[in-house]
Amino acid sequence: MTNFLQLVVVGLSSGFAYALVGIGMVLIHRTTGIVNFAQGAFAVMGGLVTATLVDDVPTFLAGLLAVLLVAAVGGAMGFVALGRRGRTTLLASLIITLGLALLTSAVHLLVFTDVPRTYPRISATSWDVGGVTVDPQYVLIACVSLASALLLTFVLRRTIVGNALVACSDSRRAAELVGLSVRSLGVLSFAVSAALGALAGLLIIPLIPLTYDSDVSIAVNGFAAAAFGGLDSIRGALAGGLVLGIAENLVIGYIDPQYQLAIGLVIMLMIISWRSRHEVAT
Amino acid sequence: MTALLEVEGLQVRYGPALAVDGVSLRLEAGERVALIGPNGAGKSSLLNAVCGLVKPAGGQVRIDGDDVTGAAPGAIVRRGVSQVPEGRQVFGTLPVESNLLLGAYGRLFRGELVSATLRYLRGRAETRARLERIYELLPKLRELRERPAGQTSGGEQQMVAIGRALMADPRLLAIDELSLGLAPVVVQDLAAFLRTLNEERGVALLLVEQNAQLAFELCSRAYVLEAGRCVLEGRSAELQRNELVRTAYLGGGLEVVPA
Ligand SMILES: Nc1ncnc2c1ncn2[C@@H]1O[C@H](COP(=O)(O)OP(=O)(O)O)[C@@H](O)[C@H]1O
Ligand SMILES: [Mg+2]
Repeated sequence: MTNFLQLVVVGLSSGFAYALVGIGMVLIHRTTGIVNFAQGAFAVMGGLVTATLVDDVPTFLAGLLAVLLVAAVGGAMGFVALGRRGRTTLLASLIITLGLALLTSAVHLLVFTDVPRTYPRISATSWDVGGVTVDPQYVLIACVSLASALLLTFVLRRTIVGNALVACSDSRRAAELVGLSVRSLGVLSFAVSAALGALAGLLIIPLIPLTYDSDVSIAVNGFAAAAFGGLDSIRGALAGGLVLGIAENLVIGYIDPQYQLAIGLVIMLMIISWRSRHEVAT
Repeated sequence: MTALLEVEGLQVRYGPALAVDGVSLRLEAGERVALIGPNGAGKSSLLNAVCGLVKPAGGQVRIDGDDVTGAAPGAIVRRGVSQVPEGRQVFGTLPVESNLLLGAYGRLFRGELVSATLRYLRGRAETRARLERIYELLPKLRELRERPAGQTSGGEQQMVAIGRALMADPRLLAIDELSLGLAPVVVQDLAAFLRTLNEERGVALLLVEQNAQLAFELCSRAYVLEAGRCVLEGRSAELQRNELVRTAYLGGGLEVVPA
């Protein structure tokens, strides 16, 4: 039982990180219709940049700088991926994000080499809760994820810019008609999603060292989390991330660690086939 | 004298197909003009080309005599022309009031998010005042202001879409399919509202309608579009007596008049 609980707790910590990545995907998908596979690259960049900067500046500042840098890169990527109004199709945008993800991964290899990077967790000591080891880093990840999800929900509901982002997903045609710049709102959603991805990466890297090629598994898991809520729900992505994180860790603990990525893919396929059957039925 | 809106030889092309093939029309400030014609005649395409949603393949659109052909939707809104799109297209998950506020926010965009948002925040008092005016014109919207727009009735959604367009303070309101899918009493109310809006506030109307009877009642002039061309135009009173119009649009027959 303790072993089970331990696996669940560890699973929750990666689950919250997947949730952050997934929430970013949901935001981009809702405002632009694009499924952004570069989301994993944002997380890796956030982690690697922070792990490098901590040598020179305080951790908090390193994290902040990394998030800002990745947000800027994300915005620029969105600018390229969204292309020209009425000219760039959704499929083209999707392929551009795939290409940019590969490019980013190559840049990571050049800049950070292929050595796994990490930096010390928030506290060296961990708590013992009824036999289960709880690392303060887990709690940090959970708090940051929940706070980000709540903040984003608040912004989308209560601020005019957030409302405009939602408007793009409710009716792109009407959003354009009232004069909203659907393109700059799309760029904004890329920047915010990139920041969320960066947060996920820099929070998880003290637990799981990352390399330039960790982006694929992060993107797959983030996508699986997002798909859980139909790619359109923040709450769904949060739930999806947690389910995935726990399931993955149980598989690692009881079956075989090499199936870690497979579990994300399997869950993703199951959800997609279940949903498509459901949507045909209704 | 230059008209509020002039369209000259407008063409809209989707791939090889010409949806609008050389249509010209003219609308003076404060006028009420209808655009009628069967499904697929190109009415929506014409409106969308005027409003910047689709780029015309040829011809010209002028507002106050200035060439605005191919301008972005926001630029057209800022020139005083707002569209109520076909099927309402409300922002369904957002409350009614947010729908209205976005109508004011959208007008401030010149492609740039930060400056538009700053302008919006600076002009909040004025936006509130405009919102109050809309609530006075359409009191129903005040009652519904916290309800997600997608959870209101068809007629209410049409009000939301009209209110949203009015938040940009237009001089011309272009309405695509006012009556589509709405109960006759609701349509009568909306028509009465639009008439008042026009007579008391001087907002010009360009009404796209399949219900020709309604179009003739509400508008003083009309253009008849068929297969992308303008086949007839004139005063509503004259068109109502026209033999072709009577058989095709007023007699209940659905078949298209051979052009
Ligand atoms: N986005 C589009 N892509 C391709 N064809 C279109 C598109 N919109 C309209 N059409 C075609 O253009 C013609 C005119 O359509 P439309 O302007 O919607 O007519 P109306 O509003 O009078 O019913 C139709 O044949 C329609 O099929
Ligand atoms: Mg139409």
